[in-house]
Amino acid sequence: MAVHWHSFFFWLMAIMACGFALAVVFSNNIVRMAFYLILSLGAVSGLFFLAGADFLGAMQLMIYVGGTVVLLVFGVMLTARRPWVDMQTSGGQWVLAAVVGALLLAVLLQTAFSVPPWQSSAAAAGALPPAAEPTAGPLGLAMVGVRVERMADRPAAESSSGLAGYLLPFEIVSVHLVVVLVGAAYLARARRRLSAAAPARPLEEAPQ
Amino acid sequence: MALEGASTDVRRAPSPEVPLGAEVRNETIAGPQANAGQAGGLEADRPTAPLATQGKPLEVAEFDVRTDEILVNMGPQHPSTHGVLRLVLRTDGEVVLEVTPHIGYLHRCAEKIGENVTARQWIPYTDRMDYLAGMNMNLGFALAVEKLLQIEVPEKGRHLRVLIAELNRIASHLVAAGTYGLDLGSFTPFMYCFRERERILDLFELVCGARLTYSYITVGGVTADLPPGWLQKCESFLDQFEPVIDELHVLLTSQAVFIRRTAGIGILPAETAIQYGCSGPVLRGSGVNWDLRRDGEPIYTRMYEGYRWEVIAQTDGRYPQDHPYPPVPKGAVLGDSWHRFYVRMLEVVQSVGLVRQAIEKYSRARGPVGEPIKQSQKLPKAEAYLETEAPKGQMGFLVVGDGTPVPRRCRARSSSFCNLSVLSELCRGCLVADVPAILGSLDIVLGEVDR
Amino acid sequence: MVDFLAQYLGSVWLAGTLWALVQVVLVLTVVMISVAFFTWLERKESARIQDRLGPTRVGGRFGWLQPVADGLKLLMKEDLIPAAADRVLFRAAPYVSFCAAFTVFVALPVASGWVALRLDAGVFFVLAVAGLEVLGVVLAGYASGSKWSLFGAMREAAQVVSYEVPLALSAVVPVMVAGSIDPVTIGDLQAGGFWNWLVFHDPFTFAAFFVYFTCAVASVNRAPFDLPEAESELVAGFMTEYSGFRWRVFFMAEYASMLAVSFLLVFLFLGAWHGPLPLVAGVYAVLGIPAGHPLAIFVAQLAGAGVFLVKGYLGVATMIWLRWTLPRLRIDQVMTMCLKYCLPLSAAMFLGAAVWLYAFPAGVTSRLLGPGAAATEAAGSPPAVAGRTALAEGER
Repeated sequence: MAVHWHSFFFWLMAIMACGFALAVVFSNNIVRMAFYLILSLGAVSGLFFLAGADFLGAMQLMIYVGGTVVLLVFGVMLTARRPWVDMQTSGGQWVLAAVVGALLLAVLLQTAFSVPPWQSSAAAAGALPPAAEPTAGPLGLAMVGVRVERMADRPAAESSSGLAGYLLPFEIVSVHLVVVLVGAAYLARARRRLSAAAPARPLEEAPQ
Repeated sequence: MALEGASTDVRRAPSPEVPLGAEVRNETIAGPQANAGQAGGLEADRPTAPLATQGKPLEVAEFDVRTDEILVNMGPQHPSTHGVLRLVLRTDGEVVLEVTPHIGYLHRCAEKIGENVTARQWIPYTDRMDYLAGMNMNLGFALAVEKLLQIEVPEKGRHLRVLIAELNRIASHLVAAGTYGLDLGSFTPFMYCFRERERILDLFELVCGARLTYSYITVGGVTADLPPGWLQKCESFLDQFEPVIDELHVLLTSQAVFIRRTAGIGILPAETAIQYGCSGPVLRGSGVNWDLRRDGEPIYTRMYEGYRWEVIAQTDGRYPQDHPYPPVPKGAVLGDSWHRFYVRMLEVVQSVGLVRQAIEKYSRARGPVGEPIKQSQKLPKAEAYLETEAPKGQMGFLVVGDGTPVPRRCRARSSSFCNLSVLSELCRGCLVADVPAILGSLDIVLGEVDR
Repeated sequence: MVDFLAQYLGSVWLAGTLWALVQVVLVLTVVMISVAFFTWLERKESARIQDRLGPTRVGGRFGWLQPVADGLKLLMKEDLIPAAADRVLFRAAPYVSFCAAFTVFVALPVASGWVALRLDAGVFFVLAVAGLEVLGVVLAGYASGSKWSLFGAMREAAQVVSYEVPLALSAVVPVMVAGSIDPVTIGDLQAGGFWNWLVFHDPFTFAAFFVYFTCAVASVNRAPFDLPEAESELVAGFMTEYSGFRWRVFFMAEYASMLAVSFLLVFLFLGAWHGPLPLVAGVYAVLGIPAGHPLAIFVAQLAGAGVFLVKGYLGVATMIWLRWTLPRLRIDQVMTMCLKYCLPLSAAMFLGAAVWLYAFPAGVTSRLLGPGAAATEAAGSPPAVAGRTALAEGER
C-alpha cells in the first residue's frame, strides 16, 4: 500500500490548521489560545510549502508565527494580571459567532469554487505539484517596483499570479503602518513624575 | 509570592527613610499590597525615590509604560550575595527603588562567647569573622589585647606579623576580585584568582597547619615561628604571582564589558562614605586618602615603620604611579564600583611589595619572635579599643578587662557591617542587574557582618 | 537517487519514502551528535581556559563519553512539574524550541548538492525558522507559573527578537553580493581559494561578518549576552523550573541553534564547504583523475562536507571561548548595543555593499587582473560544481 505523501501531508496540515483554529475559538485560557494559533499558522505555512511556494511559506513563518504571534504573546503576558486569564463566552455570543462564521464560510466557499482551476480535483489526484520554481528573484524585483508580469521572458502562467507589480506600494503602506504603531505606542505612554528627592538622611534621626 | 510578616497597612507605606541594616523591621516592606487599595494614577502616594545614579537626586518627569512595583527577594541562598545575606529589592520594573538587607543568618554569638573565654581562647572566634582574612582578624584582636596589657612584641615578631598579614590581604583581595568577576559573569578570572590563593593557603598551611582558620597571630606574638625554607617558598610564590596580576588586569580591570558593568555604577561620594562609617577600599575608592596602617594608632603603625609603600587612593585626580597600572577608563567616576575594584587590585601590588620587604627585614632581624601570653594572664581593669586595617576595611576590637583572665566584654566593630549599610543608598535608582555589581564591589563577608 | 533506489526496490513510492527518511535521519543524527559533542567541548574548553582539566574519566583520558553520562543522568531525574504551572504548555514548550532549532538544518547544505531540502529561498527559511525558537522560551517562562521566570523569559525573548533584525540585515549583505538566497549557489560561488570567500569580497562584507557574528551570539543567548538566563531574579530565568530531560531538550535546542547560526556564518561568509586552498581539485589534477567521475565527485563532496562541519564547529568553539572569557552585559546595555550600534551598522554595511557592487560589478580582482581572471577561477573550481547540476537533476 502506497501512501500518497502529498495528500497525507495535505490532510494532516489541513486538519491541524482547522483543528487548532477551532481550539483557539473554544479555548478559555488566553495563552493557550495564542499557542494554538501558533500551531494553526504553522500548519498553514506547511500548506504553502506543500503547494511549492517556499518563499511564501517561509514568509508566513517569519511574519505570522515569528512576528505577529510573538507580539501577541508578549502583549498577553505583559498585561495579564495573573497567570491564568480566563475568558468565558456567553451563550448568546456563541450563537452570533456561529451565524457570522457560517455566513463567512458560505461566501468563501462560493468564491473559492468560482475560480476555474479549482473547480475540479481530478488533475491533482495522482500528480505531484510542479517543481518549485524560483520565486525569490521575481518577488525581489517586484518589491522594488519592477512590473514583473510584463517582462518579456516571464512564462504566461505567472501573468495572473500575485506578482502584479503592486508589491512596492504594499511595502510602503506597511512601513507607514509601522511608523503609525510606533507613534501610537509613544503617545500612549503614561507620564509619571517623581517628586523632589527626600533630603539626605540626617545623622540625628535615630532608628527606633 | 508574599513575604511572611508583610503588612498590608496602607498607612505604613514604604518610604525612602527606612532605617538600614539590622534595624529594619519586616513591617516596612509592605510592597504592592500597601498600594493595592489606592485609586488614582501613578502620581498618587507613590513612594518617591531619587535617581541616585549620578550621585545627586533629581526631580524628573518620567515617561514610562505602566509597570508593576514588585518585591524581589535575593534570598539567603543566592549565588551572588557573598554569603547568607537576604536582600529584599523593591523594584519598579527594572529600576530598584529600595534595597533592604536582612542579616543575622550567620550570627554565632561570638561577642557573648568572648565574655566566657580567655583572650587567647577568643582568637579562634576572630578567625571565623572575616574568614577570608583570618590572620588580619587575629592581628587586630591580638594588638587590642596587647594594647590593654601594654606589652610589646619584639621587632622580629612585628615583621613576621606584617609579612603574614599582607600575604593574607593578597588572598582576601584575590577572592574579592575573583568573586566579583563571577558575579558579573566572568568565570575564568575566578579560577585564576583561586589558583593563586591556593598557593597562599599552602604557604599558610606550612606555617600554622590550617588553610582558613589560622589562629596563628596571638596575644604576645605568634604561636610558632616560620618553618625552615618557608621564606624561599614565599618568594618563589611572589615571583610567579606578579604576572598573574597583569593577566587579571587584562581579564577584568581593562576589559570593556567589565568596565561597562562597573563604571559609573554605585557612586559613593566621599562625605557619604565617611558618614556611613565605610572604610578600606570602599572609602579609598571614593577618594579619601585614609589608611590605618599609616594613620592609625602607634601600636599598629609602628609595625609598618620603615616600609616603603603607598596608600592607594586617588589624590589630585591621580593614583600613585609606582607601577604600570592600567589607566582609569573614561566612564569611571570616582567612588563607583570600578574604582573600588581598582583600589583592591592596586593594593595587591602594594602588599606584594610589603611582603618582600618584610621577608628581608624578618631575615635580618634578631631575637625572639614573640611568646604568647599565659592563659592565666590577668587582664587589667581597663579597656582598650584598637582599629586595624583589615583587607575589607577598618576592623576594631574592644577589650574590657576586669582583673581576671576572662575579659568582661569583647566587641568587634566590623568593617563589612558598615560597608553593607551603605548598600541601600547606593542601589537607589539602579537596575536590578546592578545590585550584584554594587554588592560585589563592597566586598562584604557575612561572617564579619553577623559575627 | 530515487530512480536509482527504485531499480532495486521495485517501487518508486518506497524508494521515495526511504530516501526522505534517510535524509531526515541523517540530518537528525548529524545535529544530535554535534550537540553531544558540544556538551563535551564546552566542558573541556571552559576547563582548559580556566586552567583545569575537565572531564577525564568517562570514556578514557579525554572524557569522550561524558555527554552520554550527562544524558543518562538527566533521563533518570525526577520529572517535576510545579503545581502552579500550566501543564500542557509546560510540557510542550521545550519541544517547540527543539523543533524550531532542528528544522533549520533541513535547508542547510553541507556540501554542494548535499542538502535535505533544496529551497530556493534557503537563507530566508533558515532565518525565519531560527526565529521561532523564541516561542518556546516565552511559553516556558509563562508555563512555569512563576513571575520571575516569566519576566526572565520576556527579557530573553525581547533580546532574541531585537537581535534578529540586525542579524538578518547583515546576513543579506553576502546574499546581495552572491545574487541569490539559495545557500547552495552562495556556497558554489566561493569556490577556489580563501580569497574567494565572501568575507574578503569587500570591506563592507568584512565588517558585516563581525556584525553578523555578534548578533548571532546575541540571538542564541550566549556569551556576553546571556543575562536573561544567568542572573535574572531567580536562578535561570525561564529554565528555572525545568529539570531533567526537559532541561536537556532546551539545551539541545540552544546548542543546535548555535550550530545553525555558525553554519549560516560559514556558508555566507567563510567559503561554505570549500577549503582555504583548492586542494581537491589540485589533487585530482595531479593524479589525473577525471573530475566528472561520480566517485570523484562524491569524494570531493565528502571532503567539502568535512570542511564545512569543521568550520561550523570552529564557529561554535569560538562562541564557547567568548562565553568563558567575557563578563555579562546588562540587559539595557544589550538592547542599547543592538538598537544603537548593530542595527545602524548593519544597515550601513548593506548600503555600502550595494554601492560597492554597483561600482565594481565584476569584483575588484577582476578589475585589477583583467576579465580573464574570473574565467580561470570558474574553470578551476572543484568538480563539485559540475557534479551539482547532475545530482540535483537526479534528485528532482
